[in-house]
Amino acid sequence: MTDTLVYLAYAVAAAGAAGVYLGLPRESKPDRRGLLVIMAAVSAGVFCLVMHRIMGDAANHVAFVVLSLFAIGGAARMITHPKPVYSAVYFIIVILSTAAMLVLAGAEFLGLVLVAVYAGAILVTYAFVIMLSQQSTMHSDHFRNALDYDRSSREPAWTVIAGFVLSATIAGMIVQRSWPSFDAARAAKTAEHNTLRLGELLMTDMAVSVELAAVLLLVAMVGAIAIARKRIPHDETFETRRPLGESGRTAPPY
Amino acid sequence: MNLATPQALMLVGALIFGLGVIGFLARRNMIVMFLSTEIMFQGVLVNLVGMGLLHGNLQGQAMGLFVLVIAAVEAGLGLAIVVMMYRRRGTLDAESWRTMRG
Repeated sequence: MTDTLVYLAYAVAAAGAAGVYLGLPRESKPDRRGLLVIMAAVSAGVFCLVMHRIMGDAANHVAFVVLSLFAIGGAARMITHPKPVYSAVYFIIVILSTAAMLVLAGAEFLGLVLVAVYAGAILVTYAFVIMLSQQSTMHSDHFRNALDYDRSSREPAWTVIAGFVLSATIAGMIVQRSWPSFDAARAAKTAEHNTLRLGELLMTDMAVSVELAAVLLLVAMVGAIAIARKRIPHDETFETRRPLGESGRTAPPY
Repeated sequence: MNLATPQALMLVGALIFGLGVIGFLARRNMIVMFLSTEIMFQGVLVNLVGMGLLHGNLQGQAMGLFVLVIAAVEAGLGLAIVVMMYRRRGTLDAESWRTMRG
């Protein structure tokens, strides 16, 4: 019972990794969109199966599974999209679906803060930097329109293998381990008056941590201003190098 | 009324974290690399909430708030550094900072 679940979790990670490998931007790639769709569908299907087995006794888990599919699919598309602006938009999808998942898990305050801080503040900062530093090449083709370093990846095969090993071991351990039994009634009681009780906890048990977080934010603000306002001379001697990835194989000193 | 189980949250967190790792290692655009670290933060946050749910207390959610603080700090400082590096080299390519041969 548990063993099949472990192998199913590995299968999710493997199919997802293959899909990400096919989707990563790459120069001169043959059109493998069909294979990519198949891999994504297999991964999503097996993922739904695993989630169904894990969440068997939860009252109604369809909404949660759909939201987690949105989150994972958005994350996959975010890391594979050749244009950073679109990556940021897919990141918003990840944030919103994660926030909804947290609300379903009884963490309403954290979900709302996630939307406000991430989708509101951090994403705007990212959008600013993208607009400040991204030049557009006026090319008619959608993929060719992206910048050259966005059109190739560093060692796609090895990175995907590393990510697969990491997530497969963690996922296998999660479904295999015997966790302390989950008390749904107690969890539901914890979710009552979530914001009120979270505030009480932060102001009593974790008061020092809150102060430390405030100091950290202040220091970071001072540091960011100090870094960004310095006048930087442009390196004139700099010449563009070929990437280490597949196209860099021929470059010296290999 | 609870519609999620801890293991499901942890599984989703693990998969999102793995995707973030792949993105950070594979992409060459520095902004996308930083976005991938934010994805990893998301995975950790979901995992923390799952742990809190498992133990039936609010410590996981409180820790999640601190993860948010760290993410905001990282975004501010990291993007300041990215802007500085962009002004220096005129490109966002992380490979342009590969000064050591190898």
